[in-house]
Amino acid sequence: MTRVGTTLAWIGFALIGANGVLFTGALAAEEAAPTTAAVPSVPDAAEIEFFESKIRPLLVKRCFECHSDQGKGIKGGLRLDLRSGLLTGGDSGAAVIPGKPAESLLVDAINYSQDSAQMPPRGKLPQAEIDLLTDWVRRGVPYPENPTVKDSPKKHAGIDFESGRQFWSFQPVHEHPLPAVKQVGWGDRRIDAFVLHKLEAAGLAPNPPADRRMLLRRLSFDLIGLPPTPEEIAAFEADTAADAYDQQVDRLLASPHYGEKWGRFWLDLVRYCDVPEVWAIDKHAQAWLYRDWVVQAWNDDLPFDRFLEMQLAADLVPEARPTDIAALGFLGLSPNYWKELKLDPGVIKAVVAEEWEERIHTLSGAVLGLTVACARCHDHKQDPISQTDYYALAGVLASTKLVPRSILPEADAKVVAGAREQIQAWQKSRDELLAQKPEPSPEAKQQAEELAAKMAELERTTPHYGVPLAYAAEEASLHILPDGTDKTKLEYKPGEAQNVALQIRGNPSNPGPVVPRRFLTVLSSAEQTPFQQGSGRRELARAFVGEAAPLTARVIVNRIWQQHFGQGLVDTPSNFGTTGSPPSHAELLDDLAARFIANGWSLKGLHRELVLSATYRQSSAYDRAKDAIDPDNRLLWRGNRRRLDVEAWRDAMLEITGRLNRHVGGPDQNLDDPQNNRRTLYGTVKRRDLHAMLRLLDFPDPTTHNATRDLTTTPLQQLFVLNSPFMREQSMALVERVRREAPGDVDSQVRHLYRLLFARAPTDRQLEFARSFLATAGTDAALADELWKQYAQALLSSNEFAFVD
Amino acid sequence: MNTTPHSALRTPSSAFPPPLSRRAWLRSTGGGWATLGLANVLNAGDRQAKGPLFAPRAKRVIHLFMNGGPFQADTFDPKPKINEFAGQRPDAVQLRTENVTGGLMAVPYAFAPRGQSGLEISELLPRLSQHADELCVIRSMHTDNPNHGPALFMMNNGTIAPLRPSMGSWSLYGLGSENENLPGYVVLCPGRPVRFSELWTNGFLPGEHQGTYINHADLSPAKMLPYLKNPTLDPVAQRRQLDLLRQLNDDHLAERGVDRALDARIHSMETAFRMQFAATDAFDISREPEAVREEYGKSPFANGCLLARRLAERGVRFTQVYYGDGQPWDTHRNHDELTRKLCADIDQPIAALLADLKRRGLLDETLVIWGGEFGRTPTSESNDGRDHNHLGFTMWMAGAGVKGGFAYGATDDFGFRAVENKVHVHDLHATILHLLGLDHERLTYRHAGRDYRLTDVFGNVVSELLA
Repeated sequence: MTRVGTTLAWIGFALIGANGVLFTGALAAEEAAPTTAAVPSVPDAAEIEFFESKIRPLLVKRCFECHSDQGKGIKGGLRLDLRSGLLTGGDSGAAVIPGKPAESLLVDAINYSQDSAQMPPRGKLPQAEIDLLTDWVRRGVPYPENPTVKDSPKKHAGIDFESGRQFWSFQPVHEHPLPAVKQVGWGDRRIDAFVLHKLEAAGLAPNPPADRRMLLRRLSFDLIGLPPTPEEIAAFEADTAADAYDQQVDRLLASPHYGEKWGRFWLDLVRYCDVPEVWAIDKHAQAWLYRDWVVQAWNDDLPFDRFLEMQLAADLVPEARPTDIAALGFLGLSPNYWKELKLDPGVIKAVVAEEWEERIHTLSGAVLGLTVACARCHDHKQDPISQTDYYALAGVLASTKLVPRSILPEADAKVVAGAREQIQAWQKSRDELLAQKPEPSPEAKQQAEELAAKMAELERTTPHYGVPLAYAAEEASLHILPDGTDKTKLEYKPGEAQNVALQIRGNPSNPGPVVPRRFLTVLSSAEQTPFQQGSGRRELARAFVGEAAPLTARVIVNRIWQQHFGQGLVDTPSNFGTTGSPPSHAELLDDLAARFIANGWSLKGLHRELVLSATYRQSSAYDRAKDAIDPDNRLLWRGNRRRLDVEAWRDAMLEITGRLNRHVGGPDQNLDDPQNNRRTLYGTVKRRDLHAMLRLLDFPDPTTHNATRDLTTTPLQQLFVLNSPFMREQSMALVERVRREAPGDVDSQVRHLYRLLFARAPTDRQLEFARSFLATAGTDAALADELWKQYAQALLSSNEFAFVD
Repeated sequence: MNTTPHSALRTPSSAFPPPLSRRAWLRSTGGGWATLGLANVLNAGDRQAKGPLFAPRAKRVIHLFMNGGPFQADTFDPKPKINEFAGQRPDAVQLRTENVTGGLMAVPYAFAPRGQSGLEISELLPRLSQHADELCVIRSMHTDNPNHGPALFMMNNGTIAPLRPSMGSWSLYGLGSENENLPGYVVLCPGRPVRFSELWTNGFLPGEHQGTYINHADLSPAKMLPYLKNPTLDPVAQRRQLDLLRQLNDDHLAERGVDRALDARIHSMETAFRMQFAATDAFDISREPEAVREEYGKSPFANGCLLARRLAERGVRFTQVYYGDGQPWDTHRNHDELTRKLCADIDQPIAALLADLKRRGLLDETLVIWGGEFGRTPTSESNDGRDHNHLGFTMWMAGAGVKGGFAYGATDDFGFRAVENKVHVHDLHATILHLLGLDHERLTYRHAGRDYRLTDVFGNVVSELLA
């Protein structure tokens, strides 16, 4: 290994930062122990004298801080306060070969040899001390036994997967008998019985139902992310049919805007962005194809199991349509970090290891609600997930290449690819012609022009030429190889899959055993079989919704619940492991998950189930007595009042002012563009540079899996509300609309404004506020105009507009 | 610490506020920065007990970031042997950096002892040399990777991987802000440094700890902070509008009884109104006397230094001043000429900043840090350039809690590799947090199943640097 290689190998470990103290070099120890067992270890008196007078003080002073159980922890798995620690060594193997300083890592390290770690890290020892330690090794490492120093705990016995399987979230799901309740006639959904039972046990009663205006506003924002029109509210309020509410639910679930609202929910989980981290940019690739695929899947009520399978393996599903290739954006939009090939393979391996971790974190967090990435450097400290499990999944990713792919049928795709290649070649020739110095000849100019014409013509005549490529993936395994002495080359082997070696303590340059690709042990049956088909992506997707179906179903059901009720039954929605929260209503979650699976993983069916419940339909009214018993509303005695997220808030404003462009799908568009009246879903999301409005208003960080939106309330947000050109524009548009639709006196215009914004009449007091605010204009028309805009902006800025009861 | 967490929470007089979980309470308090001091407590309450903090030596940090990486032996780490062996490539410099380098390239600048302390500083920095007795120079810095991205991440985020919380975010998370009308962590650059917002990301820490990036190429405060100024309304008109909004919101809240989220938004609207004036004042360097402007000079970097002082004065916890757009100190070609210009450009402003802070009594409580993401090679690249060098470089600190006129650690004979009293970036981070009264091993945040730190599992406070 070259010097750079080893230095960076150490970094590889450093950047992972395992809290590796408990698992000190377990694997290295297993390998090294037999070779050193034969060395006699009882020193004579002279050797003890030498050790105690010369060596021990030196070790104490220079080494024990990091390499004994008296210091801050045992770095690199290496203990120097025990002879056995030196012999078995740490992550890099035995520290000494007694009698052979030239072969001992310890001696290399203190000499700051270029091929080893350099110790102590803060500076090289004086030569006299180096000589002493070298001599000590030459003498056979005499080291008196010290019974007060305890050996490290035995190598961990491994994870007891059988008892791990007993954890609640890994258990099979089944329907539960409805619990007994006292209050009769409240709610006719199964949910309601479970909720009421717990409320009654706590001495609580549910709130009365929300009135129809509030309810429809809540339902509409929840299902399509847009407010109801005043007409829709009026119709619902007047509807006397017994199933009036059911009809509203069905209407909204059938709306194409449902997919926009709920697609965005999914995009939070999979860290979607329009401008991703790409190492080699393909100008034909567009991220929004994935966004649109997700939106369409929700609109089509694509069963959730199928939804997952397509996103992991659409290219491996025989019956998938060509357009389903876009589903692979889940993987395809993963960050693809910069790899400086001028550097040593050790560095590049560390970068690639980061990519695996990011993908495993996102995948396991989004689908299973587990923190599998914690097992990168050591077995998971809390959950039954082994480091081997982690590398079994990493092998799937190491056999998958991120690559832009066409969403056209194969024949069309070939034609387009051929045309693009041709055009690229012509472009190159054209550039060369025009690069002639000092100036291109007339002939060259002529030829360049002809080429340009040919390029335009080919582009025009090739069918589907303009259809972008999707960020996708294909079967190919990545091999990181040395190029010359200290550079790196990357080789993809198309169609080949590979298993990867476990990285001891997460250090890519310290490989352990090779791990076959397979699913997580704890979620598999006792007889685990490695993946057989290619990378195993499709088998992994199948495992999520097969062997792991109970967990996968619980996780998605809980997420949808969280969106509708403001908090999940499990309030750690991406941690269903032992450090996550237990469910507030365990039987209810089980019952919902079991029926969700039985119902063919239908998400629309799940929404109906939730929003038709009496639990969902409660008013959010505050009740002091109930609040004293359950201040966090964990038992669901009321609806949770919620602030609109940035998308709903902006979209609602555009809707109210009558400017919303409801076109579904297509390329992203800059949110600063004043002409951009599309839903916020379509605003450009840059991974590295989130738009200020999105950033201020708690849009999730597009660089990572987001389980929840943590809404903050900050003055910078209110600066946007008070001062942004967007708010000014909307205020002006709103005034124009009101004047157009309600010509007349102040009162009738204010009434119309209230109807548009809140679907209600203003109170007398509110009318009076309006009159006195607007009255100062007197006969000054320009001032009146300005005051109207300020007034409209105040209403748009109000809490009543920003919150849903 | 000057945090006043409770000032942000306005209790409606009509009803005693109901108990609320800590997390929900924090999320809903609208005062913004003023509440942040509690963030530490929140995490502690959630996950683990924390002991008391140390008595802080520094209240705030100004980090002058020479993005691109300056060469140590041009400035603060004299290496006469480079010139002695110029053109040769002795064994000691057979080291691999990003690019292939050739023989040793002579350093054309003279060093001399400066100040009472006799600290050696090169002729490139004559004015800064007058403050030699304030500088605590670390000549034995080293980092892990010779590429800009990973090295920038290491210096800012404590890891070579992107997207972990930045040092400024950790500091703000740990200490909160001293001024609720200003952002607590400000990043100034007359352009965009490489890797941009990843360098001041809050990562998984709560969003309010993110650095507020300000491009001060345009000195108008309204251009620096988004939405700071209303383009149409004057303060009187806006106050009137806000009074109306306040009435509507108060009625709305009264009708609903008790709701902290509603209350928080009402309150933060008022804070925002005040912030317009506070921030406009803080970021407007035209309010400085001409003599002060002259003292700093008027280059973009000088303006950054002056802004940093105005922010320090107003209690901003962490300010970074990036030298310039891209990575101006990345002198792969034409190194000597560029370095001469770059040093001339920083010399006066930094000297002025130190003098100014001292005059105002702020230097004792402000930690000033200078350096790049790594250093450069003593060997030449492409004949007249110098390559990245992660193996050894120099940084200095000045002000609160550090020894002045002091040089610590050493590189080898050629200034290539740190060899004596080596200080890794993790150690630097541990020391900076220590000076701020934070224990780098206990300032943790639980994310994705484990507790994270700025220093990961590394770092030692370099106690020798502490005054």
